[in-house]
Amino acid sequence: MLRRLAVISALLGVAFAALPARSARRPRYGGTLRVEMGASVASLDPAGAGSSPEEVAALAQIGPLVFEHWGAVDTPVGAAGSGAFRVTSWEAGKRAVLAANEEFREGRPFVDSIEIVMGRAAHERLVDLELSKTDLTEIAPQDARRAAEQGVRVSASQPDELLALVFVEHDAPRISGSIASGNAAGRAGGRASGRPLAPAKEEVMGQALSLAIDRVAIVNFILQKTGEPAGGLLPQWSSGTAFLFPAAAPSAADLEHAKELSKEIAAAGPLVLGYDSADPLEQSVAERIVVNAKEVGMAVRAQAIAGAGAGNSRGGALQAGHLDVELVRWRMTSPLPGEALRDFFSQIYAGPLAGVGPGAFPEAPSPEDIYKQQRTVLSTYRVVPLVWLPQVYGLSARVRDWKAPGPGENWPLADVWLDAETATGVQ
Amino acid sequence: MSYDSRTLMRPSRGLPLAIRVALYTIVLGLFLSGAPRVSYAQAPSELPKSWNDSVARLADEVAAAMSPTVVKLDVENISSLDVSSAGAIEAAVRVQLQRHSFSFAAEDSAAAQSVARLQLSLSESAAEYVWVVQIINDRSDGAVAPVMIVAAPKADFADAAAGARTLSLEKRFVCKQAERFLDFALWKDATSGELTLLVLGTNRLTTYKPAGSQWQLSRTSPIPQAAPPSRDPQGTINLAEGKITVRGFACVGDPDLGEGVRCSASKPIRSLDGPRIVIPGFPNSLGTDVKGSCRGDFVFLFTAEGDRTQSDSIRGRLTKGIPLPLVPSGNTLEFDGPVMALHPDPADGSARAVVHNLKTGEYEAYIVTATCGN
Repeated sequence: MLRRLAVISALLGVAFAALPARSARRPRYGGTLRVEMGASVASLDPAGAGSSPEEVAALAQIGPLVFEHWGAVDTPVGAAGSGAFRVTSWEAGKRAVLAANEEFREGRPFVDSIEIVMGRAAHERLVDLELSKTDLTEIAPQDARRAAEQGVRVSASQPDELLALVFVEHDAPRISGSIASGNAAGRAGGRASGRPLAPAKEEVMGQALSLAIDRVAIVNFILQKTGEPAGGLLPQWSSGTAFLFPAAAPSAADLEHAKELSKEIAAAGPLVLGYDSADPLEQSVAERIVVNAKEVGMAVRAQAIAGAGAGNSRGGALQAGHLDVELVRWRMTSPLPGEALRDFFSQIYAGPLAGVGPGAFPEAPSPEDIYKQQRTVLSTYRVVPLVWLPQVYGLSARVRDWKAPGPGENWPLADVWLDAETATGVQ
Repeated sequence: MSYDSRTLMRPSRGLPLAIRVALYTIVLGLFLSGAPRVSYAQAPSELPKSWNDSVARLADEVAAAMSPTVVKLDVENISSLDVSSAGAIEAAVRVQLQRHSFSFAAEDSAAAQSVARLQLSLSESAAEYVWVVQIINDRSDGAVAPVMIVAAPKADFADAAAGARTLSLEKRFVCKQAERFLDFALWKDATSGELTLLVLGTNRLTTYKPAGSQWQLSRTSPIPQAAPPSRDPQGTINLAEGKITVRGFACVGDPDLGEGVRCSASKPIRSLDGPRIVIPGFPNSLGTDVKGSCRGDFVFLFTAEGDRTQSDSIRGRLTKGIPLPLVPSGNTLEFDGPVMALHPDPADGSARAVVHNLKTGEYEAYIVTATCGN
């Protein structure tokens, strides 16, 4: 008995003695960080890269690792290899190996190299994380909770990506958000019957939808609470005024008001709602909106648009005159509300609203200016905010000093180090 | 300036700790008293001017939106402001509204149920505080309540971010030798770029030049010893002034420290020797300040409070000056023996440490660098 007590005491002593050493552990050099991405990047040259938004987004993460600076318009500054890492192997669209730049002016990165595997599907990335075959990968927000429950280390940013309904602009050029990849081709939208909606009808439809959609349910059930209901065009942490745009679940009065509005537009026929067929989140949200709309007597038909978010395909669908409204994802490019809203105008809402676009936006907007600009846009109901999404990442147990990047920030892979003593198995 | 306040086995050199700390804190106090300091946990009348201006602007906008009347003011703080700051802002808003002839219904009065309601929300954006007043109406027509919004600067937003910064210490081994030495210095010739290592022993200054990965003896300059010799000799190399100080003597370069020294007797300041005291919050160990600052604080390095039979460590501490204590920050550097000397280095955030390695018996020279980071 005494011997057993002595052994337990000794083990406890060793454990407690180890604690301070672990907490004070300094960064270590060495190791290969394994990264998996969904997108496939063909080239580090933005001019040579493909046009899909996923590829552009992936390039915007890899590029800054290799170049000294990555310009505001996704263009490299300096020679390749002037960044924290140098490319030692590049298989276009498949795999890349980057080696630490010993001469990097901000100091050599902690890891010796980064191995990037591209074109991995979301479920493959999750499985690889669970099996400790990768160290870092993006996780879809709706999968975050399940991943955490299965023992994956999850890191989430502040909510910085807006999922919103945007009415398709008729007879005017409009740039859609991340989905449309900046393709400015004109889009002649229209009703399923071929008749474009009058602006007044659109406004009534938008208001009815805005009142009927249960954003809280979308967050709780579809996103598994990874996200926030959105009432404004900027999140509360950025603007400080999002609370002035309520996004609570619809009240009985809201639903009653929505029913009255839907009666006004009953003759217009079903509204066609487009979503990216390659985006399961958009599909789920679109289906939910159809249900919510039906509850207030509105006919909405969800229509998948093939092309995995490629602007051309969607543009083609729009030009064919099949869509009235579409789901759009817009990611903030700056934490500052003025800059973010200006980007929103240029990406999402260029043109259709006279006097609301960037031209009317003050150079240094006050919080009141920002509030009023949002209010002006939202009062047209051409944009109906739904939810704010964070960027979610899965990490292996050995990744240290990772901080989920905020709007406008890049992956901090030069700061990340690998804890060699941490088991690489499932936590 | 360096400190030695170990009471047991580490006799002090120079001024006693109490006097040196007193002089230092007086100097720091004088320096810092000229710098503006803002605490936002203050009474209404003491709000920063920019905040007062924002409150006044908010009240002006309310007065422009509605006629003066009896109102009920509800306050919600959804920002990172603490309770006392939020209370101070609310009080300031009330004062400003009263100046516009608004009056407030008592909280529990019957009148409070029927008067106009103002909702003051203390919010914040990514860059600044955002204070909002909504004029709440109970109309059911769905009209948006009138909204007044003003911005107020955050409490030194950059400083707040810097508040998360801590010291990170790193040590760089320079050289070691069996014989005890008091200080060392790395000196780079401005014209030739040649590196020189100066090692101050108890009775000589030795100059080394790099030879491959080793240091090669270049020159030795004798340094006279005071009689009787100290059992705890101490000395420093001051590269900036080109001189060496050892107990009883001051030496200058001839023509520079790398080429030889001329020493002359210096009178020790005995009148300031006094009893050693321990100041609460001030480490009872060897310490030095280093050049530079972290989040606006002064940076100090202190050893552990052991004696010379024990292994030792160096840890950074930060202080804004008066009042002490110095707050520990960042990691701790461990050594296999006592730190015998710790001198500030001319380089930013650096100090020179002489360590007696108890495992090998040798004396080791380290450059300790403190960097400020997240």
